[in-house]
Amino acid sequence: MGNKLILLVVILFVSSFAKAQKLDVSGFARTYEGVTYENGDFTIIQQTLNLNFEKRGEKVAFKANPMVYLYNADSLNLNIREVYMDMYFKNFDLRVGKQQIVWGKADGVFITDIVSPLNLSEFLLPDFDEIRTGVIATKLDYYIGNSTIEAIWIPQFTPTIRPDANSIWYIQPEFPALTTFDWSQSEIKPSLENSEFFLKWSAMTSKVDFELMGGYTWDDNPTMHVQKQFGMDTTTMPPSPILTDLTITPEHHRLTVGGGSFSTEIKGVILRGEAAYYNGKYFQTEDPTAEDALIQKDYLNYVAGIDFNIGKVKLSTQFIQKYILDYNDMMPDNEFHNTATFMARYDMMRETLHLELFSYIGLSDQDALIRPKITYDFDDSFSILLGGNIFVGERDGQFGQYQDNSMIYTKIKYNF
Amino acid sequence: MRTLKLVVVAIIFLATGFSANAQLTGTQIIDKTYNRATGEDQTSTLKMTLTNKQGKQRIRTIKQFSKDFGDVEKSIMFFQSPADVKNTSFMNWSYDSDKSDDQWIYLPALKRVKRISSDSKSDYFMGSDFTYDDLGDRKLNADNHKLLREEIINGKACYVVESISKDEDYMYSKTITWIDKSNFVGVKKEFYDEVEELLKILTIKKVEEISGFYVITNSEMKNVQKNHKTTMILSGVKVNTGVSASKFSERIMTRGI
Repeated sequence: MGNKLILLVVILFVSSFAKAQKLDVSGFARTYEGVTYENGDFTIIQQTLNLNFEKRGEKVAFKANPMVYLYNADSLNLNIREVYMDMYFKNFDLRVGKQQIVWGKADGVFITDIVSPLNLSEFLLPDFDEIRTGVIATKLDYYIGNSTIEAIWIPQFTPTIRPDANSIWYIQPEFPALTTFDWSQSEIKPSLENSEFFLKWSAMTSKVDFELMGGYTWDDNPTMHVQKQFGMDTTTMPPSPILTDLTITPEHHRLTVGGGSFSTEIKGVILRGEAAYYNGKYFQTEDPTAEDALIQKDYLNYVAGIDFNIGKVKLSTQFIQKYILDYNDMMPDNEFHNTATFMARYDMMRETLHLELFSYIGLSDQDALIRPKITYDFDDSFSILLGGNIFVGERDGQFGQYQDNSMIYTKIKYNF
Repeated sequence: MRTLKLVVVAIIFLATGFSANAQLTGTQIIDKTYNRATGEDQTSTLKMTLTNKQGKQRIRTIKQFSKDFGDVEKSIMFFQSPADVKNTSFMNWSYDSDKSDDQWIYLPALKRVKRISSDSKSDYFMGSDFTYDDLGDRKLNADNHKLLREEIINGKACYVVESISKDEDYMYSKTITWIDKSNFVGVKKEFYDEVEELLKILTIKKVEEISGFYVITNSEMKNVQKNHKTTMILSGVKVNTGVSASKFSERIMTRGI
């Protein structure tokens, strides 16, 4: 009740402030319901109010984007997605505050797009504009002709948001022994030493658009340090050692990343590519001699894709590969992990009816997430969407593991 | 002798007509129409009203800038309404050469400028009755042009030119354009579908002279087969105000105006 009251006061205050300051106010209200067709449960009952307050001048600008989620009947969540100030100079712009930063040319996959971490509390299902979380950062863009140099300093690390233990998207790991989690090492305190730094050079030309990037960052996903304790199994002759306890200590580690992306058009087809080299990533290993059951390796992650039209249908497909260098057979991860995406879209009835199919296809895991949807715009501000999230394939795959969560859903949205 | 030469030249001139326009071919007329002086740069606000056959209207408002850089014309659009497309921007670089246009779109929700294919010129612009091709600079040599006749329409003496695409798969089997003889501004255009049935009629409702240049400020495209139409009204038109070259950049696409 207390949280709701605070939230109400905040919204009323901001709305009054917006009116007094003549801020530009926009946003949407949305109702979103999903039902799993395996058991008929309403697994998503979500109401959302998204507010954008903006004020833009010649030299400065301000934006605040609070988003209020009401889950089921009474679980209220306020998320300040962005709140920042812009300062515009002759050759450079400065943005300070909580902001979402998007890099790269790939759709729906995150190769060089690693500045803003992901919110995976609903797996990969939220719209791509809602799946990122904001970071508190200072961003400088310096412009030289058609190219831009972007430098980012993030003093406070933000990790990937994972599903809660009571979420349908939470997968309970299986352990061979009694397991204790030690979360004492999982936090990164904000400090100069713990800051993240990113640099990008990008250009937009008549022949090609490209980006070159580098980052000195933290792994958004914690590494699981595993300590094993053994006892003696006296039921065997002679007695043999047996695993009795596991202590898992999640800990974030530094990563150094370098990469780039491009897009160009050849005879009406858009070609896109993106690649990044990750240095110093910790992977699990079954090597009994490895400290904390970990091994440090570099890996390469890249995507190649095309966008094209057949008649009035817009099509897009991408191939994504993750390759672990200096691979060791005792690693549970595959040396190569391949995924593909496919998208088809058709707009009809003067762009009031939209048919779309988007799929992730796990080529290595032999599974897939298939997402058909149909959207009808009643008018310029009001739309209704009917869609499906269909998980198929091997149950140990990234998508197949959620087979029981296949659902149909509807979203009704009012933009203002 | 010198006098005789002058007389001969004068007779030839008279025989071929006082006005150079009298001898124009269909291609020359369309060339003059396409290459009519429109100024170095232009700024305006476009209000586009889509009316369906029941009379229900949807309105889009766009702030737009364009600038001629000689071998390339750059234009940028900022969508102001409706709410779901607000702050979206679209940039086009159109080349005098045969190079296809470069196009980018910025979707504020995705926070990314994306290069898009300029191959879909037959697509309708934002659900309107105008295709991208109807709005853009169609290349002169994309069609064969033939002067059909001259006639007076709305009190204006016009050339009537038929244009047939060299591409057999083009969405229009032919277009017929009425062009004001006095200033080479279009007055009316008919678009015929693949089976040569009349599909759409473009009517130019208002032409204004702004800073010495003719600007179409009110036009209507009507789909006669489906009985819906789109009107485009330009306001706040400014010509040759020295729009900065830096306006046509990723920086301004993402920042907005």
